[in-house]
Amino acid sequence: MIETSERIFDKPGDKPQKTNTSIRVNVGLLDTLMNLAGELVLGRNQLLQGVSSSNTKATEVSSQRIDMITSELQEAIMRTRMQPIANILSKFTRVVRDLSQQSGKSIDLVLEGNDVELDKTILESINDPLIHLVRNSVHHGIEMPDEREKIGKNPIGIITLKAFHDAGQVNIVISDDGRGLDPQKILRAAVSKGHLTDQEVAQMSEKQKMKLIFLPGFSTAKEVTDVSGRGVGMDVAVTNVESLGGVIELDSTPGEGTVIQIKLPLTLAIIPSQIITVGNERYALPQVNLSELLRISAAEVKDKIERVGDSEVVRLRGELLPLFDLSKLLGIEETYIDPENNDELLERRKNIADRRSKKHALLKDGKTRALNTFEDTKQERTTKDRRYHAESALNIAVVATGTFKYGLIVDDLHDSEEIVVKSVGRHLKKCTAYTGATIMGDGKVALILNISNIAQTAGLSTVSESVKLAKAADKAAETCKDKAALLIFKNSGSEHFAAPLNMVERIERFKTSAIEQIGNKKVVQYRGGALPLYELSQVLDVESLPEKDQQEVIVFKVKNREIGLMVTPPIDANEVNLEMDESTLRQPGISGSMSINDHTTLLVDIFEMIKRLNPEWFADET
Amino acid sequence: MSKEMMKPTSKDLEFSTFYVGTTLCGINILKIEEINKHFNITTVPQSSDYIKGILNLRGRIITIIDLGKKLGLDSVEKNKDTRNIIVNSNDEHIGLVVNGISDVVVVREDDIEAVPSNINGVKGKNFKGVLKTEKQLIGILDIDEILKE
Repeated sequence: MIETSERIFDKPGDKPQKTNTSIRVNVGLLDTLMNLAGELVLGRNQLLQGVSSSNTKATEVSSQRIDMITSELQEAIMRTRMQPIANILSKFTRVVRDLSQQSGKSIDLVLEGNDVELDKTILESINDPLIHLVRNSVHHGIEMPDEREKIGKNPIGIITLKAFHDAGQVNIVISDDGRGLDPQKILRAAVSKGHLTDQEVAQMSEKQKMKLIFLPGFSTAKEVTDVSGRGVGMDVAVTNVESLGGVIELDSTPGEGTVIQIKLPLTLAIIPSQIITVGNERYALPQVNLSELLRISAAEVKDKIERVGDSEVVRLRGELLPLFDLSKLLGIEETYIDPENNDELLERRKNIADRRSKKHALLKDGKTRALNTFEDTKQERTTKDRRYHAESALNIAVVATGTFKYGLIVDDLHDSEEIVVKSVGRHLKKCTAYTGATIMGDGKVALILNISNIAQTAGLSTVSESVKLAKAADKAAETCKDKAALLIFKNSGSEHFAAPLNMVERIERFKTSAIEQIGNKKVVQYRGGALPLYELSQVLDVESLPEKDQQEVIVFKVKNREIGLMVTPPIDANEVNLEMDESTLRQPGISGSMSINDHTTLLVDIFEMIKRLNPEWFADET
Repeated sequence: MSKEMMKPTSKDLEFSTFYVGTTLCGINILKIEEINKHFNITTVPQSSDYIKGILNLRGRIITIIDLGKKLGLDSVEKNKDTRNIIVNSNDEHIGLVVNGISDVVVVREDDIEAVPSNINGVKGKNFKGVLKTEKQLIGILDIDEILKE
């Protein structure tokens, strides 16, 4: 479609294109154009005069003037290409009426925002996706009249087509008040058609399930009719919208209806873009795809960039973002400038987190030399640590298309510019990483990156990725659930124990002299009462406590009575994953063992322990 | 220009000749838009190896092709003789990088002979024919065939 828009801009003198299309333009707009053309000529004359008389002031003034006129001219020319969306929306009245009669449903179509204007090429290519989406609403969304009446809805269904401007984009919303999407039905269809395995399904969120309808070849219809059921629709609609630089969003409440929102750029010919550098070339990254720019300073690279398998990720506000090195994706040979002698050398790092080191570079040449230089560099490093150069910081452009979100590592970030999209020759059509090319201010050409195609070449598949993320999220939730707060302590030297923190009242320290021995029981005067003291060796097969001047006591509250357990410090509270081995070291009073801080730690079952010490406390229960 | 140049008549053809490596080749002069020395080329990663890159020629984006590589010969190394021939093929302007420009020759159509089955290892289908001059053979290139995808 860029090709067609390009052709319209082509200079006269080219062989006329076979399409002989015409466009209806407001005469007022033509007059404005004529006026601007006049002013442009005037501006040029002033500029030429200023230059020939070397009058800097006059040149400056006229260049400003030309700058202004160019912007106005650009806008006016754009407006000639703008057509009201009513041109295509009005067709839908008939489409909906025919379809509803065929299927025996009664449907009202509400059109809003008829005067919203869109670029002619966009308008032409949005027609088919829109028709498909409206057909979907009629066929799948709206229920039969009697069915609607049964659930208390107005028997006449309503489909709304609304267009409006928002944040420099045109939004088209297709909403219906039908039955909405049934995630379970979608799942069943996806599994039966082999798009997904049951296991993958179990880990998907509701929103992800609904997004399955965008998969190629997906259909829930039991039979193929001339309206739907072939399973090509939604996928094609999404591809069409995305190829226009747009985004489709889906929202549905079962029983209440479905809302599909399409966001489209106003025009395709001039797009705001972020200019980036990779290798020796500049590239343009369309602003619609750009969600943010990240800079990870050299010192932080090691901490922030993590590796999962052989792919790199960065943790961005709690979300795992896949990272790709743009130069690797495009197959550009990476180079870096050696800070010592300014030579351009080939990049040898395998991981982003690896730091550069001279040592390895020279090992290739010969070992003796390597050793010498190693000594040299060692000395230099005492003065200046190369590893934390500002140049080693990572620049990441976080990009998103409808279904993908990932980070692209680039060499440099430049300004954001409005670029004129030009098509590339036929030999480059198969390079899908680019949507076209543009001419920069200095006359050099920069390629425009196609974010969604790059994601595909990077092997970032939508479903698997979202499933993966869902898995990661579920795992995180699971570990959250199984995390327990434990109080970790020692009995004697090397025996580590833990008890649930929620049963602990306090931790106290008594002088050994304050502990009274009454019969075979120990007590201590505590808060106006006698606190019975026990040690683990009374119940468990462990060593008895060593004699000390002071005794640390953990006070537990069980059955509204307090008991003290004499232990050896350090006493530490810790949150750990409960991955308990319930067999190996199991004995009465111990519910199991686990590894905490590299020590085998036994988890004390306080209830069972007290039951064995004071069976009478539990007598009333049995 | 060589002495044997004559005034072209309607039956005569004019060929612009140039070197690809050491091979002398010719293209019908009507196919050529211009010959220049613009080499401010932007490389295109992931493209075929014979594509040198793209170039801005007065507001048009032009694909630049290494004619040597494309014909299966050695790649054209840049030096002071290297030129960029902009040709018009199927309504698209495409640049061909060649090792150097030679004369324009005027010949009668029936002077062009059929391609021998093998000239300098180049695939025969890229040639329309061969032209014998006093000094050397000139391979007449079939530009549209060469620039087919």
